[in-house]
Amino acid sequence: MRRRAPAALVLILALLVSVGCRRQQQGEAESLAPAVSVSDIDLGRSLNPDRSIADNAASFKPSDTIYISVATEGSASSATLTAKWTYEDGQTVDQSTQTISPTGPARTEFHISKPDGWPVGKYTVQVMLNGALAGTKEFEVAP
Amino acid sequence: MGLFDKKKDKPKPKPDFGNVKSGGSSTAPARPPVAAPTAPARTYTVVKGDSLSKIAKREYGDANKWRAIYDANKDIIKDPDLIYPGQVLTIPRG
Repeated sequence: MRRRAPAALVLILALLVSVGCRRQQQGEAESLAPAVSVSDIDLGRSLNPDRSIADNAASFKPSDTIYISVATEGSASSATLTAKWTYEDGQTVDQSTQTISPTGPARTEFHISKPDGWPVGKYTVQVMLNGALAGTKEFEVAP
Repeated sequence: MGLFDKKKDKPKPKPDFGNVKSGGSSTAPARPPVAAPTAPARTYTVVKGDSLSKIAKREYGDANKWRAIYDANKDIIKDPDLIYPGQVLTIPRG
């Protein structure tokens, strides 16, 4: 019995150290989490004053202006949001970037239009936050 | 005719997106532009025969810019027509 007691003690100590390390790792992970994150991406034909989409859509007419609204959470002194629009074959339609300083939940919108009408087909828009892909939306333009 | 009349599939021409207009806005404040570092203002020591116009002509190539020098040195120049040798004037960037 006397010989088993130290072994049990060592086991308990090892468990305590293990739990402590895990908690520390969790804390480190939380502190390394990005300050701003993309929480939602919507597509549509028009916007509300708060930059949210008024009418969600995934199919557009050639004459439409196409809006994408990106909801972010968190704060940062500087964060870049990029919307890259591509046509079905991967051809870049447009790419634009906004640098924002959010202090909480925010909405950022991007929009594109083409005076002579969008070619019919399938399109993709990629949203990148600080250069990292944050989400993708697909839509089509139909006659 | 027949087999020989089959139309060859032409590659679909790439659409031109050169006239696409884009824009955007955000409810989050835009990041304030980083101010370009400004070069420190130079100084000039007045010598005999100088006037603000002469100094402006020499520094900016335009005698009419004497007021910029005067405005930058109002603490030591009471009368723009009277500057004295030895006075150290701040020469703002042109």
